[in-house]
Amino acid sequence: MRPADVAALATESLRLHRLRTVLSGIAVAIGVAAVLVLAGVGDAAKRYVVGRFAAMGANLVTVSPGRTETSGMRTMFEGAERALTLDDCDAIRRRVPGLRAVAPVSLGTGAFRYGEKRRDVYVVGVTAEYATMRELAMERGRFLPPGDPRAGGSYAVIGRKLAREVFGAENPVGRMVRIGERRFRVIGVLAPKGQSLGFDFDDLALIPVATGLTMFDKVSLFHIIVQVSDPAAIPGAVARVKAVLVDRHRGEDFTVVTQDAMLKSFRAVLDTLTAAVAGIAAIAVAVAGIGIMNVMLIAVSERIAEVGLLKALGARSTQVTKLFLVEALLLSALGAVIGIATGLAVLAAGARLWPAFPLAPSPPWIVGALALALTTGGLFGLIPARRAAALPPAEALQGKR
Amino acid sequence: MSAAPASPVREATSPEAPSAAREIIRLDDVTRVYRVGETEVRALDHVSMSVQRGEFVALVGPSGSGKSSLLQVLGCLDSPTSGRYLLNGAAVEALSPDRLAGIRQREMGFVFQSYHLVPRMTAARNVELPLILAGVDPAERRQRVEAALRSTGLAGRMKHRPDQMSGGERQRVAIARAMVMRPQLLLADEPTGNLDSRTGDEIVTMLEALHHDGLTIVLVTHDARVAARAERVLTMRDGRFVDERRGDGGRP
Repeated sequence: MRPADVAALATESLRLHRLRTVLSGIAVAIGVAAVLVLAGVGDAAKRYVVGRFAAMGANLVTVSPGRTETSGMRTMFEGAERALTLDDCDAIRRRVPGLRAVAPVSLGTGAFRYGEKRRDVYVVGVTAEYATMRELAMERGRFLPPGDPRAGGSYAVIGRKLAREVFGAENPVGRMVRIGERRFRVIGVLAPKGQSLGFDFDDLALIPVATGLTMFDKVSLFHIIVQVSDPAAIPGAVARVKAVLVDRHRGEDFTVVTQDAMLKSFRAVLDTLTAAVAGIAAIAVAVAGIGIMNVMLIAVSERIAEVGLLKALGARSTQVTKLFLVEALLLSALGAVIGIATGLAVLAAGARLWPAFPLAPSPPWIVGALALALTTGGLFGLIPARRAAALPPAEALQGKR
Repeated sequence: MSAAPASPVREATSPEAPSAAREIIRLDDVTRVYRVGETEVRALDHVSMSVQRGEFVALVGPSGSGKSSLLQVLGCLDSPTSGRYLLNGAAVEALSPDRLAGIRQREMGFVFQSYHLVPRMTAARNVELPLILAGVDPAERRQRVEAALRSTGLAGRMKHRPDQMSGGERQRVAIARAMVMRPQLLLADEPTGNLDSRTGDEIVTMLEALHHDGLTIVLVTHDARVAARAERVLTMRDGRFVDERRGDGGRP
């Protein structure tokens, strides 16, 4: 038998029972679409997180005070450990070669007041380097000027949301405001950047780092951010920064986290999550396979006499198997095509409805879903096809099993 | 023309070498036992027979006499429980199902009482089926299908599906399908059983014409008038031959 003839004969049989064919095809389609959509959501979540990391700046190493294995779990008793100081920051800048920038960061919260308006915000003490590192752009005015980090100053740069909330339509640049108990002049407004890993750049006030430390009466910086020129330089920079600080602190009482390591673990978690979710969706395809088997078993029992006829006309068992198997494969392929189309449509609609979330189909998952559907159709189609092929010709001709 | 007598004769031992080349079918002591639950049904009981190339043989007998079972064995659709079946001098009773399928494809055509046309296919497609299974290329297929349908007088019915045709037309499609592979042996199981007598006559006339062109035909029938038109009429009862007569048929 020529392959084109096998396909044609199988198609003719499927056409006979359109409703049955379409229904069992839809079962496959739902599974395939579910795989595509869920995998697409998982992939998009990964892209989203990676994108957020990228928004935080590239090739960054963060040094935090305190020795903990997990970042963000630092003890509240900062006094109990050696603080990270502006001197540490200077030492790193001086003694570690090849760094693009080193930025000290202090952190506190305070009431931001202008006229009658008051808003509690994060107050982040930074230097001029911070803007380039975090890739912050200005909407109005300018960023903190470069200069001695110890100098401090009574000027502030504010996030866009803070500016809108407190100043409304008024231009904040040049206005005097109160943060906590101190007076500051607003010199700039940040361009919108949005949240990055829980940190809202649109709703904060940036002040000189030394002022921040005094204002919140802190000994230690929140962290020191070190930027290297390319990813390959990260491990070397980490080792040198550690060496400098261990030398100064006589022990490793700080934590170094590379953005790379965080990103890697996020990626791993999200990949696993995507695979798990798509795997659950794949069960739907397998269930649809049972539907295909059912339809094919019905088809075989309806066409026993036809199988007998084919055998009388000289069909070998393998030919009979092939005819029914191809029918099952076409059925699952039909479902897969509908499913892929549906999945792509859902992803496209999602991408339109929610532009911030990077929903997009991924070719490997499309190929994977198609392969899964065909494998399922083939495996579940094999049992009915074999049953047809095994029918003894004389009995089959009389419509008996 | 060695007849199969009522009592089994061990023809394999009889010295008839000169006629062997003309012998297309030879059954030696063939038995076919079906098991239905606890009981055994002896559909063929030590049957021996011989059919010469170009012969037109009718098998008659009451229902359950074994004539259809015999036809299934002859058509390699069923295998004897014991005994030998030589087709063109070669033993086929021990061949694998696939080898038997090959023999059915090349050597035999089948015509059934209920036509066994595939309902969703046109007449042309039905006739094409054996050619498709044999892997014949589409251009040649079209040509042979057309020729076969024309020779059965259905040139104008190519695109009709079975439910758009009369019984006689359907049986003519079945004959075209049986002949499209140019077999040497046609096995017909009650081909006129579902037809009125006039249409049945037409079908038998068509078979006679094929026989005159050299085709070997073994036909099972209830109808004495149909049987009489064969060259040789074998009567079966309880899985055995009980009578053999010459029919009216035969070459003039």
